[in-house]
Amino acid sequence: MAGKFSVIMFSGTADKFIPLGVLTQAAAAMGMEVSVFVTGFALGAFAKKRREAPFPAEFAGMAAALEKGLKAAKAPPWDEMLRQAKDLGAKVYACSMMSEVMGLKKGDFGDLIDDIVGAATFLEQSENGQTIFI
Amino acid sequence: MEKSSAGRTLVDARDKSCPGPITDLALAYRRSKIGDVIELWATDPGVRSDVRAWAAKTGNELASMEEKNGAIVSVLRILRR
Repeated sequence: MAGKFSVIMFSGTADKFIPLGVLTQAAAAMGMEVSVFVTGFALGAFAKKRREAPFPAEFAGMAAALEKGLKAAKAPPWDEMLRQAKDLGAKVYACSMMSEVMGLKKGDFGDLIDDIVGAATFLEQSENGQTIFI
Repeated sequence: MEKSSAGRTLVDARDKSCPGPITDLALAYRRSKIGDVIELWATDPGVRSDVRAWAAKTGNELASMEEKNGAIVSVLRILRR
């Protein structure tokens, strides 16, 4: 494996899911070991009863133009990109503490989530690699 | 879209935005053997630097890169699996 790329996915707004998809897919294509730790407001988008992420209020006026641009660029939606990353070996974990806080159990998550883990597991897994916080 | 014959795979990633072309390249790489050649057609301008980065990271050779019919055509030789 050519290095590690790890993402702490915390934000729950639609704009932040775009770099999650793009960067995990790109890193997986580069042959990197990719892991994503989903926590905070991002968790709802991974539940079976999916909570669609809203655009942040300060950029709401740009949302329509962005959606149009993404469509014109034929950019796939973030979950398709993350699924492609997973097909190339990426792993996606839900934070156990925040899952509990939000009342989400293993069976409540869709198939993008591989497991529910604690923060220590993620820290151990991401050690000596690149980690970003979204 | 992918076409293969005798150790040469043609990958058509034209009109795909980043990171589509590099992903299609990675998928073709997975099915390749040492000594194979992958020809990647793309239109996303990011592919110029991305293919170089991919080759450096995975230890494979970028044999050539040129513009043809409005596309960027990269030819990669697979040296490592």
